[in-house]
Amino acid sequence: MLVAAAALVALGQPAGAFEVGIIGFQFTSETHARVANAAAAAAKARGWNVTLLNSEGALPKHAEQFDALIAKKVDAIIIAMGKPVEADAQFKAAKDAKIPVVTVQSGASPHALFDIQSNEYKIGADAALYLLGQLGFQGNILTARFDLNVASRIRGKILDVVLSENQAVKEIGKFSMARTQSWRDDVRAGMQALLLQNQGKVNGIWVSFDGQAYIIDDLLQAQGVKKGQIPMVSVDGGQESYERIADPNSTFMATVSIPFEEMGKQAVDAIQAIAVDKKPKESVTPGPYLFVDAVLVDKNNVQQFLKK
Amino acid sequence: MGRIDPRELIGRYGTAIAGLALILFFLIFAQNFASATNIVNVLKDTSFLAILALGFALAFTVAELDLSVAEMASLAAVVCGWLVHAQYPPAVAVMAALGVGVGLGLLNGYGVTVLRIPSLIMTLGTAAIAKGLAFMITQGVAFVGRWPVGFTGLARGYSFGIPNLVLWMTGATLFAWGLVKWTKTGAHMVATGEADEAARLAGIATARMKRIGLLLAGVFASLMAVLLAANLSSAAPNMAGDYLLYAIAAVLLGMTMFEPGKPNVPGTVFAALVLKVLGNGLVLLGAPYYVQDIVLGAIIIGSVAFSASAMKKAAFKV
Repeated sequence: MLVAAAALVALGQPAGAFEVGIIGFQFTSETHARVANAAAAAAKARGWNVTLLNSEGALPKHAEQFDALIAKKVDAIIIAMGKPVEADAQFKAAKDAKIPVVTVQSGASPHALFDIQSNEYKIGADAALYLLGQLGFQGNILTARFDLNVASRIRGKILDVVLSENQAVKEIGKFSMARTQSWRDDVRAGMQALLLQNQGKVNGIWVSFDGQAYIIDDLLQAQGVKKGQIPMVSVDGGQESYERIADPNSTFMATVSIPFEEMGKQAVDAIQAIAVDKKPKESVTPGPYLFVDAVLVDKNNVQQFLKK
Repeated sequence: MGRIDPRELIGRYGTAIAGLALILFFLIFAQNFASATNIVNVLKDTSFLAILALGFALAFTVAELDLSVAEMASLAAVVCGWLVHAQYPPAVAVMAALGVGVGLGLLNGYGVTVLRIPSLIMTLGTAAIAKGLAFMITQGVAFVGRWPVGFTGLARGYSFGIPNLVLWMTGATLFAWGLVKWTKTGAHMVATGEADEAARLAGIATARMKRIGLLLAGVFASLMAVLLAANLSSAAPNMAGDYLLYAIAAVLLGMTMFEPGKPNVPGTVFAALVLKVLGNGLVLLGAPYYVQDIVLGAIIIGSVAFSASAMKKAAFKV
């Protein structure tokens, strides 16, 4: 019965319409969901049939879903935060089947059209230099890292480079997050311990992504820390981040905002141009990447980003 | 000739019939479901789950729950990938991976039978150790590369026109089935699982049977890990974690058919196939990912409920 119901839902999609398969690698990561959902919404707005899939962070499942979309003979595939190297066989199979593939924040694949992405090296530099600027290039910082994620790891490595050139700023403690289901609890417990251990010595906090920053912000607020006393900077963006940046009671100072929704929409626009309008790929981007700008958001420009 | 009791027939084959009906449904409604490429893909995908689930089923046969199978597989894959990546001969990497399964399987057996730790607790501990070691070796970064065909061919290759993965699955199935059905050890394992104390009083070395069951779970997990790493040309610390629930689901679903109430080999393999067909078919129908999870959960509950009467009659309760 349920399968039949699912079939009816699926069969309710317009017959003969352009069909796109969208795979998000891990929807429990908000950014993956933001890209995939935005792409799905943009595709539906064009009247396309959409198959939206979540690989749940599992590479074997990711490969299976990719294979199934190829077998389904969809007209195009969009992959959010995929693994072009690990899933090389599937990318190649899609190319052999003449199915155009656009990736987002995944890295380039010789078998895909291109990868839409923000430059994480630049993002890392923007975040690190903003924080050091807030400190006057001297003082002690704590860091909340996530080295199991490529983007977060790059940001952390860039911070290390910046710190190596600015030795008056010292990293006096760091918490490295594991990829667990209970990561929020882990971050809370870990940072609580670091803050206790370094009470009175912390001048700033660097955070690898906004999800961690919300937890640390709550901790700092509970300890009575006021905005600007311990500047905290992070990366990702989103309404929750903007609201905290605008909130005088929050310690969240700035984020480097990556336009995830825009990237999802751009993937659909690119498919429209190349697969539907038959324009050359070079009309969208000449190389393996289509870079999008990430914007540093702080009190000076946050009002532009807040939903009215 | 005794009369066939329809209720018994439904209890024994109801889930299998439902599974076949599901396959028929997708054959009719899911575009390209019956294409050769898709059928091969489904069979290949089934092989990983079936092999892991068979290991879980063998441990379950001796009435022990091995919740470490997926993390053991992840660690074995990481060890295998690590060595292949470091350009050791594939045979060395495969043996090392199998060594991980054997070692952790023996550890589970020792913990359960000698230290008297309940298998649920022991294997959760082993899973945590395996997970930690996998992350320690990789530092969270997957081993990825253009690995030698001598290794990747184990999973990606074909023999006699049949995908190697299907042959591995068939071999694992025949081994497990043969062991349980036609060997003294298998009979002793079944007896241990059904009535531990009675088996012990009858002179069966029940502790040894439990160790064999848990050892085989480790061996099957590491075999699956080797094939998974070879198929994907990569090894990540969490690469098999996703399989645990599906393996349990396959074994429980398998217990509702052929030999209701008992973990059994053909039921487990057929259930693994049904689960993979379901996932594949729903993708082909264009169902969103969350619908797949809802349908999967409902089918598991429904199947078990469907055969509940048979389960109640069986000596081995879920």
